[in-house]
Amino acid sequence: MRLYEYEAKKLFGKYGIPLPIGGLAKSAKEAEKISGEIGMPVVLKSQVLTGGRGKAGGIKIEDRAEAIPGLAEELFKLKIKGFPVQTLLVEKALEIKKELYLGITINRAEYKITIIASDSGGVDIETVAAEHPEKIHRVELEIDDPFYSFQAIRLAGEIGLPSEKVRDFAKIALGLFEFFKSYDAKLAEINPLVLTGSGDLIAADARVSLDDDALFRHADLKDMGIEKRHEEGELTPRETQAREWGIPYLDLDGDIGMFPGGAGFGIMGNDFIRYFGGQPANFMDSGGGPTPERLSRMLVLLDENPQVKAIFGARFGGISRCDDFAKGVVKFLREHGLSKPMVMRMTGNMWQEGVRIFEEARKESPELFEKIEFHGIEKPIEEIAKRAVELAREAG
Amino acid sequence: MAILLTKRSKVIVQGITGGGGSFHTKRMMEYGTNIVAGTSPGKGGQTVENVPVRNTAVECVEEFGADFSVIFLPAQFAGEAALEAIYAGIKTVVVVPEHIPIADMMKVRKAARERGAVVIGSNTAGLITPGEANAGIIPDIAFAPGRIGTVSRSGSLTYYVADMLTRAGYGETTCVGLGGDPVLGSTFDEILRLFDKDDSTKAIVMVGEIGGVYEERAVPTIEKLSKPVIFMIGGVFAPPGKRMGHAGAIVEGNLGTANTKIAALEKAGGYHARTFMDIPEILQRLSI
Repeated sequence: MRLYEYEAKKLFGKYGIPLPIGGLAKSAKEAEKISGEIGMPVVLKSQVLTGGRGKAGGIKIEDRAEAIPGLAEELFKLKIKGFPVQTLLVEKALEIKKELYLGITINRAEYKITIIASDSGGVDIETVAAEHPEKIHRVELEIDDPFYSFQAIRLAGEIGLPSEKVRDFAKIALGLFEFFKSYDAKLAEINPLVLTGSGDLIAADARVSLDDDALFRHADLKDMGIEKRHEEGELTPRETQAREWGIPYLDLDGDIGMFPGGAGFGIMGNDFIRYFGGQPANFMDSGGGPTPERLSRMLVLLDENPQVKAIFGARFGGISRCDDFAKGVVKFLREHGLSKPMVMRMTGNMWQEGVRIFEEARKESPELFEKIEFHGIEKPIEEIAKRAVELAREAG
Repeated sequence: MAILLTKRSKVIVQGITGGGGSFHTKRMMEYGTNIVAGTSPGKGGQTVENVPVRNTAVECVEEFGADFSVIFLPAQFAGEAALEAIYAGIKTVVVVPEHIPIADMMKVRKAARERGAVVIGSNTAGLITPGEANAGIIPDIAFAPGRIGTVSRSGSLTYYVADMLTRAGYGETTCVGLGGDPVLGSTFDEILRLFDKDDSTKAIVMVGEIGGVYEERAVPTIEKLSKPVIFMIGGVFAPPGKRMGHAGAIVEGNLGTANTKIAALEKAGGYHARTFMDIPEILQRLSI
């Protein structure tokens, strides 16, 4: 879960990391008021959950007070990668002598926590790492290792800070590490960490991503107004509907509605459809152990999509059992009805029970099943995918 | 022969009194899995499906000689349960639940390394040695004893690959689901090495997907293996920058795209299968 810069800074402040003075504005008027209080020059920073704000024109530095309301208005009209700007962070502009980089992240490949520092801050750190690997200095720690002051001081020396600044740097690095560990962060980054003309080290920016799966340990975030959020930019109406129903769903360009089992085959199944000459209309994941209600809604999303010409269904029941799957499909057929041809295959845990549920419902109301071609393990999944491509072609 | 799990493995179920725990205990035993006990703190002394329940894993080791554990517990307790099993001396731990905090899985991995245990998961379907034992939630319908080892990030893909191998008459030695969470107890390269040492395994099928670095991490191992590796990578046509399903399956820039993974694995000597049907064809070409 990515945090807004102002949220991250609020948390950094608790760990003694020096920050620019400033405040949060929801309107041009508020931006003007804050600027008046902190004095010029100020920097207006769009608060969005995506990178590349600067390049998109979402950050403005200004030294004329009278220009602030106009600039703020302009920013509030901006959309950055689909994210509308709703909040501005208004800060006193720093007198920059040097821009440094300090970041902490999880190295998944090596199972380490990596602390990275560089004297080349203010730019994309991946670019620095690629073009000037010698400018990247790091400390690798095991998950339970402490991060000692002497290690941070060594880092400060490596990035060329003068002796009188190394203890200030170490204090910031240790604070950032403490924050990282305390809040189950996946990434905590200060870029740039500014060395000002007067010799202070100040975190000009803050970028944080927390581990969603550990939020249950951090109830205090909620008190600060930091709650689980969605990090996508603009959603289509169907994606919005799916999100409300808690179904991972993406609209794609094609005409085959994808109704797969787990995420693994959800991803692979889309490839298969493409290999066989078709175009998937969506990506979807049922999640582990979906309820009949959820499965029924997944089908509603596909059936109501005018772009969809045929539906490809696949269930290999593991933790998501075939009996629940069959109940979901039958629920959909009874309550909503299927208007498009569908080919599906169902096997795995409790498949006999799943087949029984289908057969009973079919006996009761055979008309509901007219558009379904149903298969079990006797046919390989590739045949089913090919058939879906055929059905879409016939309907098209 | 097999890797990690045989009919002689003495398996416990941590969280045996819960809905998932008891349901899958019954299923696993019906398949032949040697389940010797289960844990549920506060319910020691009870039984589930005639399996004795104890408060702790260490009691299961001392009393029943347990050496293998399958965890069915909510995510916030699963990491500690895995540590409990490792500290008790259990050698293989399967973490079925999903959404385990990253820091917890990092601690589990570290403890496993230090104490010589293997952790599979989290967010895994588990593993199965066809004809012998099934540990986790894998539906056994598609599996048959045979000579191919499989390892996959995804549960459903494990089933489909076995479905194809069984259909083509190859069967499987052991099938391992690594799990879909972002940080895993074991990765491809460790499981590949186990298969390489297993005499009954003649070839290995590995199935990866977009996101993460675990496929690339296996490259040096694949270069050194004595057995052929056939691989599939899901997400060739995934839209960049979008999150698809598994927490791990997200494409960021050029890191971990399906095409970079395919190129790296082919360069290491692996054989790329686009669909499941390609797998038996490649095996035949290799005269396996």
